[in-house]
Amino acid sequence: MAEITANGVRFHVQRLAPRRRPHLLENPVVFIHGLGLDNLSSFYYTLANPVAHAGADVILYDQRGHGLSERPPAGYRISDSVGDLSAILGALGVKEPVHLVGHSYGGAIALRFALAYPELVTSMLLIEAHVPIPGWGEQMAANIRKVEQDLGDSDWGREMVSIRKYARLAAVGQNLINRTTFMTDLLAAEPIAEQELRMFTRPVRAVYGENSDVISHAHLLDAVLPECTLTVLPDLDHFVLARDARVLRAIVLDWFATQTAVGVS
Amino acid sequence: MTVDQVLAEVRGMLIEIIGVEYALSLDIGMDTSFDADLELESIEFVRLATMLKDRYGDRVDFVGFLATKERDEIIGLTTGDVVTYIASCFTLSGAIDG
Repeated sequence: MAEITANGVRFHVQRLAPRRRPHLLENPVVFIHGLGLDNLSSFYYTLANPVAHAGADVILYDQRGHGLSERPPAGYRISDSVGDLSAILGALGVKEPVHLVGHSYGGAIALRFALAYPELVTSMLLIEAHVPIPGWGEQMAANIRKVEQDLGDSDWGREMVSIRKYARLAAVGQNLINRTTFMTDLLAAEPIAEQELRMFTRPVRAVYGENSDVISHAHLLDAVLPECTLTVLPDLDHFVLARDARVLRAIVLDWFATQTAVGVS
Repeated sequence: MTVDQVLAEVRGMLIEIIGVEYALSLDIGMDTSFDADLELESIEFVRLATMLKDRYGDRVDFVGFLATKERDEIIGLTTGDVVTYIASCFTLSGAIDG
């Protein structure tokens, strides 16, 4: 098992070595997955291996309480996740700036990390990223309660996956919600101010589905980030990664082909 | 390594991942599907890939193997698909490691 302890938590980390030389990118690419039932496999199955295969040093990790990482009872604020990422990079010996790829809630972590440590981020690729605007924590908590209810009260979950997987999936979500400070930490999320976003001058690529429930976040990023390129994919919703990895992969590989800068200006 | 040898090792890894209790009811062979038969979760497949990498090292290029596959293809893999790929890597490189 690829496990490291960082920030006092045991993390499941995958590092995929670049297969091609010369390398596509000099700097590592770090993938940050979404919330709740998500884990690093959503990137592992879709973008991570192709990016490594194209010639990048790829790092994936399960966030605390997710996937195969430890589920501590507390520490689920975005600031904790920023601390986790910082500590994981430190434990891996990564000192150079990294390219961040954040999906959904992972995008919020990427944004917060980039604003806290701009010198450590050479570019960001945000897929359906949540931007913690005022009221966002309450909305997220409500959405999660809805999913939890659907999993527990109906056949929704059972139709989605097989019995063994269903039991595991439901347990993961319920343990996170009921046995940790996850929900209260979510409600305590500190909003990102537009002024903070305006300060981040490195290139950002934002990709959203046309019918995404967070499409307003896409337009916010496009309006306030100094170097943002927004792509809106027609006929897709929030789940672009699951629904059309092929289109996303082409965008991601194209984006990284243009990101050759090593340092941070 | 022969296909049978690789299959025996991969079977052992799968039993470790899904648990002996659950594996007792299954006869894991080349046709066994990770999804339909073993009900392997996505993250458990990642764990299998790690175990395979630890066991076979750089001689087996799993990044290359997975990079060309869509999510549905990975989920639909059988034990035989992985075993055959590993065995082919050994055949190509001529490397034998007991």
